[in-house]
Amino acid sequence: MKTFPALLCLSTLLLASASAELVTEMPVIELKPKPEDETISTDFVFHNKGTKPVKVLKIDSACSCLSASLDKAVYQPGEKGVGKAEFKISSFIGRHEKSVHIQTDDPAQSEWVVTFVIDVPEVIKIEPKTLQWWLGDPAEAKVTRVTMQGAEPMKIMRITSTREQVEFSFKEIVPGKEYEVTVKPKSTAEVMLGALKIETDSSIPKYQRQLSFFSVYRKPANSETP
Amino acid sequence: MKQALIQAVVLAALAAAVAAAAFQLHPRAPALYLVQEPLKADELGLKEIQERWKGDVIWLDARPADQFEAGHIPGARLLNEQGFEGQLLDMLDTLQATTKPIIIYCGGQKCEASRHVREKLLAMVPVEYCFILKGGWPAWQAGQGR
Repeated sequence: MKTFPALLCLSTLLLASASAELVTEMPVIELKPKPEDETISTDFVFHNKGTKPVKVLKIDSACSCLSASLDKAVYQPGEKGVGKAEFKISSFIGRHEKSVHIQTDDPAQSEWVVTFVIDVPEVIKIEPKTLQWWLGDPAEAKVTRVTMQGAEPMKIMRITSTREQVEFSFKEIVPGKEYEVTVKPKSTAEVMLGALKIETDSSIPKYQRQLSFFSVYRKPANSETP
Repeated sequence: MKQALIQAVVLAALAAAVAAAAFQLHPRAPALYLVQEPLKADELGLKEIQERWKGDVIWLDARPADQFEAGHIPGARLLNEQGFEGQLLDMLDTLQATTKPIIIYCGGQKCEASRHVREKLLAMVPVEYCFILKGGWPAWQAGQGR
């Protein structure tokens, strides 16, 4: 009879020390979409390396571009699971690290973070993306450079502006590869936010129209010269 | 006396054991390990936003479009990472005409989308007052008593 409480306490301690541990086979899951891809999805394998079952309560993504799901809700110790993730590429370019946060019922691993690295090829590079003038600055011309970095050459066919208060032009530096776009506000006396719509002859629809921006804006109190 | 003491200790141990087991096994056990994180430099709480500007701000919703359509802060505009340039293009007139502070929110405390959207927005439009709503959409809902 005396041994019962002791056994109960011992079993409780053992229960308390048990924990779940969900881990992926790769610490970071890399996704490499092709230039024409709109979405990219992947399956990832993971294990419960812990000593108790774990229940998945909720899956949150840190980005609206990334969604994930798991093949079931409860994973026994040692059990393998498969997750599916989908990344919507839309206007993303370059290398991005995104994660999903998976909440479990185990306080020792209340949140399991699965990290993805998405490397989207930058087929059209526009640098700088925004040309900026502060209110009252000289209304001088500034240049943005458009570089076609894909395998196939690409030409700028047309550029239009959302504002009439700017003059703009473009010239070909390297045919099918490099262009310079010059923008000059007619005045910097008033705030103006606008965009240039750059149309190309790309065979991939999402590269047929690109945007670059320009702004004449109030200078923040602690800003440096643009 | 000694026996009573032993009984008391046994009872306390039993109670502790049951409590520990319940905490361990209950699917919605309280997250005692979590602490309230302080505000970051780019964050504001809902109460402060209401007090400072009486809610007269531009709300930008950085969540996915389907979540925005399912419910958003009244008057909020959609500006998320995946549709950023096109959505920004649609709101240039609004941003050009206003001096109101901009408050960006996303799906919750763990969401990073509002911070990324803020960085991208400030690179293009250097507005003076641009903050993130701490706690995001759930904080707004809680503030409305939902």
